[in-house]
Amino acid sequence: MRYDVLDAPDFGLLRITLERAGERIVAESGAMVAMDAKIKTETSMRGGVLAAAKRKVLGGESLFQNTFIAEADQQRLFLAPAPEGDLRALQLAAGQQFFLQSGAYVAHVGEELKLDTQWGGVRSFFGGLGFFMLKLTGPGTVFYASYGAVHPVAVSGNYICDTGHIVGFGSELTYTIQKFGGYKGLFFSGEGLVCNFSGQGQLLLQTRNPASLVGFLNPYRRVQSRS
Amino acid sequence: MQFQIEHGPAFAWLRVQLGAGERITAEAGAMVRQSPTLEMDTRLNAPRSTGVFGKIWGFMVAMARKMFGGETPFLNDFHGATGGEVVLAPSLSGSVVHRRLGGGSTMFVQTGSYLASSGNVDMRIRWGGLRSFFGGEGLVLLECFGDGDLFMNSYGGVTEVPIDGAFVVDTGHIVAFEGSLDFKVRSIGGLKSFLFSGEGLVCEFQGRGTVFIQSRNMDSLVSWLSPMLGS
Amino acid sequence: MHYEIQYRPAHALAFAHLQPGESVRAEASAMVSMTPNVAVETQANTGGGLLKSLKRSMLGGESFFTNRFTAVGSPGHVSFAPDLCGDLLVHELTGTQLLIQGSSYVSAPDSVQIDTKFQGFKGFFSGESLFFLSATGYGPVLMNAFGAVETLDLNGELIVDTGHLVAFTSGIEYTVTKAGKGWIQSFLSGEGLVLRMRGQGRVYIQSRNPAEYGRAIGAELPPRRS
Repeated sequence: MRYDVLDAPDFGLLRITLERAGERIVAESGAMVAMDAKIKTETSMRGGVLAAAKRKVLGGESLFQNTFIAEADQQRLFLAPAPEGDLRALQLAAGQQFFLQSGAYVAHVGEELKLDTQWGGVRSFFGGLGFFMLKLTGPGTVFYASYGAVHPVAVSGNYICDTGHIVGFGSELTYTIQKFGGYKGLFFSGEGLVCNFSGQGQLLLQTRNPASLVGFLNPYRRVQSRS
Repeated sequence: MQFQIEHGPAFAWLRVQLGAGERITAEAGAMVRQSPTLEMDTRLNAPRSTGVFGKIWGFMVAMARKMFGGETPFLNDFHGATGGEVVLAPSLSGSVVHRRLGGGSTMFVQTGSYLASSGNVDMRIRWGGLRSFFGGEGLVLLECFGDGDLFMNSYGGVTEVPIDGAFVVDTGHIVAFEGSLDFKVRSIGGLKSFLFSGEGLVCEFQGRGTVFIQSRNMDSLVSWLSPMLGS
Repeated sequence: MHYEIQYRPAHALAFAHLQPGESVRAEASAMVSMTPNVAVETQANTGGGLLKSLKRSMLGGESFFTNRFTAVGSPGHVSFAPDLCGDLLVHELTGTQLLIQGSSYVSAPDSVQIDTKFQGFKGFFSGESLFFLSATGYGPVLMNAFGAVETLDLNGELIVDTGHLVAFTSGIEYTVTKAGKGWIQSFLSGEGLVLRMRGQGRVYIQSRNPAEYGRAIGAELPPRRS
């Protein structure tokens, strides 16, 4: 399997070439842009019915995933995420753990890669926004997307960021979540939570915040008429 | 007429220098800035050589376009006795692509992707496949023909894919394709995939020709935003 | 202090680098990240009086509160980003004045004064309101552009769609006019109101119109209750 990312970082588009019949990749539902005709699509529930249902209640993640399987050699598949921004690959070694914001997941390769939504810190990051953190355990390759560009930070000591800008971070970092200086904004932004990271490790930020986009768009929605 | 496509691929716009008497037609709302020497005429989107009934039909078709493609039914023509410069931009982030039409070639353009055209380029609306019973995207297209320049916009980046054989594209990601291709709208897989895959409808192309695909689509954006929206 | 902008032009992120004791102000929701030695003070925007600030927030141009970030004890930084994708740019004021379209202002140091200077135009059909902030003093002003930025040095006359204007220097006069020959054409043409700008100075234009983007997507979103 080969891959490359087109139009990064503006509008990352993942182009996968499944070189031999039988090669496969799992992707978030809705990510398929285009593909050669000899690819079969299988839709399945991710991780079992109960886990999937719990995820649906938390929001932000669909119940289903699609597995694309090549039925001939040299089949191309184009995948794209929903938000405007970059798309990158993260290689995880066996046992390596990484926390990824749920909306950032696009696809993965590697039967042994574990995606876990059942762990302690799941909900606290994003308030009522509908995102949560996925815990990834390698080995495998994960393709993830950002809203805006990906800004990597090599944390050494402490670093503070708005939670809406978190794409992911290595499990070697510790964190605390707090309200931003007691200020409660008048804007629709998920309660203005910030995350204070400490330790030594990798933090991935995105340069745009989905909550800000939602706040911007809100006045442009139609108003429901009372009946 | 001269033109430049600037600020691509993320926020491309089209800059046009018109000579005396030359004109360019653009979708409503596209003007960014213009020389004061240019005039703007507004008209309905109907083929030019139509009478009253043709214009009424054109209006109804344009209203239908508005319902399915999100486009207004009006077009603006920019022209001036001494010429001038006009800059045109689409509403969404993304690219602008130019295509020269002529010699009987046609381009099928997704309705939201039409930005501007010049010369003798004309267009009519086409339905590319039934809207499914379950809703979904269907395919509403503008067939563009004639001699002249056609400018299209995309949501996201544009990738040009030359096809020789068969190729499948999610309908929401189609910007345009050459008229030489055969196409068929269908679901991505079996019934389960259709209902649950989150993919909507796909368009299977056959033959030889070029497809322009965009790397973002409105339906995915709405799905991504919906859980975050308050009531 | 100085601004450093990365990821131009589509996903720009600005870093305000502060020496110990230096401060920078920013619109409330702009903060992305900061070093732990930065202290934050939230202030009500009382420039021009409380009533003017309220008016500003209701017009949707600028939020009611600004934050003031100060590096304590050692150098530090704060990073800022706007709501929408696009570019960030800095205009250096040297005792001059820059008029900034309301939602384009992001941040400035204390040496720059930001005042509201409301231009009372609400577009009848499109709901576009035109509203400028005035920036005066010395130092850099950080602004956002929806889309890419075009920097024009104007010497003459130009017609600009209101939603595409980011900022302009005070040597330029402008009038707000209908885009078409009549009100109906202005509505049907999709252009609404335009600015006829005349004079000498600098004009910053953005390659996308936030209101058009908002309308295009807003129409597809589920309706809201109020």
